[in-house]
Amino acid sequence: MTGATRRSNGCGENSHHDASISKQVPLESWFVRIIIVGGGEIGFALAQALSQSNEVFVIDHAPSVADRFEALDVQFLLGTGTSSDMLGRAGIDGAEILIACTGLDEVNIVACAVGNRLGSPRTFCFVSREEFLHFEEDRRGLEQFGIDRIVWPEAQLAEDIERIIGVPDAIDSEVFADGAIRLLEYRLDRGSSIVDRRIADLHLPHGSLIVAVRRGESFFIPRGDSVLAIGDKAIVMGTPDALSDVRREITGSAEIRKQRVTIIGGGDVGFRLAERLDGAEGLEVTVIERNLARGEMLASRLRHALVLSGDGTDLELLEAEDIGRSDVLVSVIDNDERNLLASLLGRQLGVQRIITRVSRRANLRLFERVGIDVALSARGAAVASVLHQITGGATRLLAVVEQGAGRILELDVPPGYSARSLREMDPPRNSIIGAILRGSQAIVPRGNDRVQPGDRLIVFTTHAEADRVRNYFTRA
Amino acid sequence: MRLAVVVHVTGILVRMFSATLLAPVAVAASYREWYDAAGFGVTAIATLAVGMLMHRAGGPGAADAAEQMRRVEGLGVVAGSWLVMAQLGAIPYLWAGLGVIDAMFESMSGLTSTGATILVDFSAYGRGFFFWRALTEWLGGLGVIALFIAVLPRLAIAGRQLFFAEASGPTADKLTPQLRKTALVLWQLYFILTAIQAVALYVAGMSLFDAVCHALTTMSAGGFSPHPESIAGYQSATIDWIITAFMFVAGANFALQVRAVRGSRSALVQDEEFRAYAAVGVMATVALTFFLLRDGMVFFDAVRHGAFQVLTIVTTTGYASVDFDLWSSQAKMVLFLLMFVGGCAGSAAGGPKVVRHLLMARYTIRELKRTLHPRAVLPVKLGGRVVPDPIMRDVVVFMLFYLLVFAAGAAIVVALGADLLTGITASIACLGNIGPGFENVGPMANFAHLHPISKIVLTLLMWIGRLEVLTVLVLFRFEAWRNARWSAA
Repeated sequence: MTGATRRSNGCGENSHHDASISKQVPLESWFVRIIIVGGGEIGFALAQALSQSNEVFVIDHAPSVADRFEALDVQFLLGTGTSSDMLGRAGIDGAEILIACTGLDEVNIVACAVGNRLGSPRTFCFVSREEFLHFEEDRRGLEQFGIDRIVWPEAQLAEDIERIIGVPDAIDSEVFADGAIRLLEYRLDRGSSIVDRRIADLHLPHGSLIVAVRRGESFFIPRGDSVLAIGDKAIVMGTPDALSDVRREITGSAEIRKQRVTIIGGGDVGFRLAERLDGAEGLEVTVIERNLARGEMLASRLRHALVLSGDGTDLELLEAEDIGRSDVLVSVIDNDERNLLASLLGRQLGVQRIITRVSRRANLRLFERVGIDVALSARGAAVASVLHQITGGATRLLAVVEQGAGRILELDVPPGYSARSLREMDPPRNSIIGAILRGSQAIVPRGNDRVQPGDRLIVFTTHAEADRVRNYFTRA
Repeated sequence: MRLAVVVHVTGILVRMFSATLLAPVAVAASYREWYDAAGFGVTAIATLAVGMLMHRAGGPGAADAAEQMRRVEGLGVVAGSWLVMAQLGAIPYLWAGLGVIDAMFESMSGLTSTGATILVDFSAYGRGFFFWRALTEWLGGLGVIALFIAVLPRLAIAGRQLFFAEASGPTADKLTPQLRKTALVLWQLYFILTAIQAVALYVAGMSLFDAVCHALTTMSAGGFSPHPESIAGYQSATIDWIITAFMFVAGANFALQVRAVRGSRSALVQDEEFRAYAAVGVMATVALTFFLLRDGMVFFDAVRHGAFQVLTIVTTTGYASVDFDLWSSQAKMVLFLLMFVGGCAGSAAGGPKVVRHLLMARYTIRELKRTLHPRAVLPVKLGGRVVPDPIMRDVVVFMLFYLLVFAAGAAIVVALGADLLTGITASIACLGNIGPGFENVGPMANFAHLHPISKIVLTLLMWIGRLEVLTVLVLFRFEAWRNARWSAA
């Protein structure tokens, strides 16, 4: 069982498979030089995602990591990413993008500064401490170091979790086109009014569309005659207004009641998340932190949240504090095993939605298989946000859903395309146009809506169909 | 504790104190009260002599040793110098014919800006005499040692311990990195506000002498008035409102006022204590006005006297715009509760201070919350910042001892013959540096009729209350004296 829609980060995907596709069908006209300084987990994930359609150089000083990159279509350079000589060999003068993602903040900053002096790439600088994040607020400070974007994985993860919590009852959430289009994932319960009925008979509100259904291990894009069942996870795309109506039909409850959020672990992620949620209307936040000194720091910085000093895997504490009555449990300890334990305890006590942090990639699928609704990693979140910002070409991968089973593409309709309505089209099986973006307009299409040249399409499809979909829509 | 250091530094402060006696000499002389002027002259010389002697007595090493004053020595100097100054300041009253105990009471009442008096017949004394009463309150209001720190560069180093021991409230604000500048800035503001008020009162119709005396005792939250009927004797709504406004200012944190004047306009509004102080003032005024209306007062009079009496008690000034002892029990109850509040920390007001009540309330809520969530981390916060545990402990202990000292004082005064309400209010009025209480120590009565021992006890209460209990009580601990020796060596 999987759950999360996740921005494409390559984490849950099968790398060689993707690589082979892009070799067979060289669609992308957008082909640039990208330099990645640092060959750790993040560097690898980035290289994996970007190598398909770009010229990628990876610089790392450790020979041991070189082997991993053998499998990828990238150029690995052994050396330090802060030396101008090394960056020169990676062709910095012609590079479009430099991503510094070593484990050392200072090295990353210097790499960006040196790279910026030698060429004019867009620079992404990964940091691991809060103090550097404040650069973000001061543009001049960033420019002095030649940094375009600061990326702090923990902060990114906190932001992602906040977005998911922000939609009550949904187990996952994603936004596209600057918020004009949202994607929500619901688990269908007994109270839902849409189960056991044909989708064609549902009459969902205008501007909303069920784009995918997960049933057990199978994942499919429903057609008009598909019938939804209890226990299915339905992925709905639409405009924010329409989706609030959809929520009512799916969950069967009208009002939004106060949500109780429990955060286990007050580390970087837990603290930032608590800070963002603290005082938000309709939210009641409890943070459980094991380290007393850290707990005192949290309590001093948070205005409304309740900070408990104790272990999140301590069943007695969880019971005494009635954690089972929480609507959301977020377990963001720095340790996968304890996260899993805390999450399972939470589920056992009856928590509705569980969001868990995963550090090791290998654990990602395991977590969702044992009943965690959403498993996220800080690295994954950061990588996804970088990939999201490196956009270009006629086709962009916006997100992957259900560990890569489904993908959300954004396609530019080429100028020569002859306009036609959806009814007249015969798109590949297992694909659906979720939205048409025309100027500042976002249309969730029905049969009569037309696709015109210059539109951007948000298309939902499965992993296997991705290439056919690309071909179908981008060929004039 | 090195006694030589304590005596030496106390000597310096006492020597400074003698200079302040020149002012009443001049005032008495200008009104051709030659006998009184001579009295002040004698006092000035005596004070100077005592100061010099104490200064010398410390020995040659004391000056250097004073550079590294310890905390307990700082407390000793502050407590000791206030006691010695009160005694020396009593000489003019003796000169004017008061008894020893009465003179001490009046002098301590002045220096601690309490405003409780033993004077029965106001007409028997000269202008210089009343000016000296007002001046002692003004000096004591913001802290006489802070004044000396501001004036005397040498005290700056040793002054650190003294400044914080004398300052009111659980935490003292330093406006500038340099202590001396902080003291100077605070005294400048204090002086300017006093001058403005004196002008305002003069314009409103008081004589120049009365205007100055009332300005001195309003800004210091003191409450001595040269008029036997206090402010009620002037029968002027304008004067009442002017004094009400300046009492409110005197009860607010001066450091914050400096900030506000210097440009951060919202400094006062953002301060939680100030907001609570203003809220207490407004709510009490509303409650009091309600009771006064019910008792048959006209609306404008009810608001005017309600606001005046609320502020006079809450800021521990102790004036009266009307004989509030004649009011109903309900109205008096409002005032009685206010006696336990006090103004803001870092103001001229006495009492436990609003901030301590705020912290106590939060502390209590915290403990209630802890019974629901035994494992919760619940810091006590003020203005978004966590209050460190040592300060919180000090506040709890302060409140405990404050009530204990109050109860003990009330018990003694009642035991020695006063009636219950007189005893209770006399005790809190002196400990809180308010001045008048109810019944036989009401605003139009005085303390002269009390038992001599009661007067001595109440004199001590004023001293303990002004130095915020712990400063004095620590010196009653055996440990403070066990390691006491004379010299630094």
